[in-house]
Amino acid sequence: MKKVAVVGVGETKFSGPQDMTEVELFAEAAMEAITESNLKPKDIKALFVGNALGDFAEGQGMVQSLAAENIGCLYVPATRYEGACASASMAIRDACMWVASGYYDIVLAGGVERAATMGTGLATRTFAMFSDSRYEYPAGITFPAVFAMLTHLYADTYKIPLQKLREQMARVSIQSYKHGSVNPRAQFYGKNADMTVEKVLGSFVVSTPLTLHDCCPFSDGAAAVVLASEEVASKLTGKPVYVTGTGQSSCGPLGNQSDYLPRIRAREISSQRAYEMAGVKPQDIDLCELHDCFSIASLIAAESLGFFDYGTAGEAWEKGEADIGGKTAVNPSGGLKSKGHPIGATGAGQVYEVVRQLRGEVEPERQVPDAKIGMTDTLGGDGGTLVNMIFERGW
Amino acid sequence: MKTGVPFREGLFQGSDEKGSLLGARCRQCGQIIFPRREACLNCLGNDLELIQLSRKGKLYSYTIVHMPSEHFEPPYAVGWIELPEGVKIFSQIRGWQERPLETGMDMALHFEKLWDEEEKEVVGYVFRPSTNGGA
Repeated sequence: MKKVAVVGVGETKFSGPQDMTEVELFAEAAMEAITESNLKPKDIKALFVGNALGDFAEGQGMVQSLAAENIGCLYVPATRYEGACASASMAIRDACMWVASGYYDIVLAGGVERAATMGTGLATRTFAMFSDSRYEYPAGITFPAVFAMLTHLYADTYKIPLQKLREQMARVSIQSYKHGSVNPRAQFYGKNADMTVEKVLGSFVVSTPLTLHDCCPFSDGAAAVVLASEEVASKLTGKPVYVTGTGQSSCGPLGNQSDYLPRIRAREISSQRAYEMAGVKPQDIDLCELHDCFSIASLIAAESLGFFDYGTAGEAWEKGEADIGGKTAVNPSGGLKSKGHPIGATGAGQVYEVVRQLRGEVEPERQVPDAKIGMTDTLGGDGGTLVNMIFERGW
Repeated sequence: MKTGVPFREGLFQGSDEKGSLLGARCRQCGQIIFPRREACLNCLGNDLELIQLSRKGKLYSYTIVHMPSEHFEPPYAVGWIELPEGVKIFSQIRGWQERPLETGMDMALHFEKLWDEEEKEVVGYVFRPSTNGGA
């Protein structure tokens, strides 16, 4: 397989409800990525677009083809990926494979979503489509409920009193708010920097024991990356970021992983593939943008990815080991919690952040010093789809 | 009176007193699964027998949902119940207002209305804290 480089990245601001359509949002992110790559739309050989709920959000299907047309990429293959919240990561991973195979030398991949525009009612109903409609949905499953149950399981499994665990989880939200508050592209830019444990615990209950500040928001937004072969990349940029490892795993409804819970087995398998392919270990990762749809999800993810021992991630957050300057900097962008979670775009937003961190281009307050290796972790459904990717500086 | 219809065919049979969830046991490796499927995910064998699962189990995890969903007004409870066969069932939980939920507590199977539709009421399985001991 050939080496694959990210040569340009683009992203809209992640936000609450806004008026741009998904095609327009994606075009904004895509053109930023193409322009940054010193390329023109005509150079793009194929598009890979993550989008989960566009059909429901705005009555627009086939968004990938319309987006391609909108940026002037005519007559090239454009393909849509749907894997709930992991859609864009699936799109980027597959795009990597096409370049690695040698078939294409320059492709565009990313994702777009208008989950905030949908409103909480429609968003809650359509998000629930990613659970198993045969027997999970009719019993009243919701995603906050899934992670709330995992919270109880985590407390029971690792013998941590629930109140203590909730305080540790609050630290996760506080750290994410801190970084998002200085990220101009974040939904909560300029907000919530003064969050306290008391405020998190005292916010309204969503699904016991999770409160509002344990949960990520609904968001609108898009992100895109240009991938190129090593040969092309060397002509375009002095700072190519190589995709050195990827893994993906599917597992259907969460019940299939019930022998492992609160661990997400699909993530362990997916990340192991990525580590093996890249030839690196968890301790080599300088920063990770991981799927913190809920505060407990960060603890579970950081353990499954191998950054901390099982049952100790909460302590790690309390000690600052998951922050910039700690063992592994987790979500310096603010993560899903504070940067936002436009589900079909989220994975591309994570790649955007990792690439800019490796290039040393983010705001000084949230830059991971001398970051060389970064990782993304994206979860779709209730653990039914996992994608992990590892990125390394190419200079 | 409206006709009761199951929310999905093939997952359970009968009513409150004698009903049960319908699982399957793989004759090749002994794995027990719910819901049934054509092949065993453990050994990929396709010789599975229909079995009636235990009506009692223990609460494995739970949450009380405080946001509305399509069919249920908050607050309502959901959780996983682990049956003696080792199978974990995702289910709505009722009776939690009278008996506070606690991981590991004994739970019993019931069949109740889940929601109303125009001409019918949709029924399904729920678990309630057990009053007379567990499995």
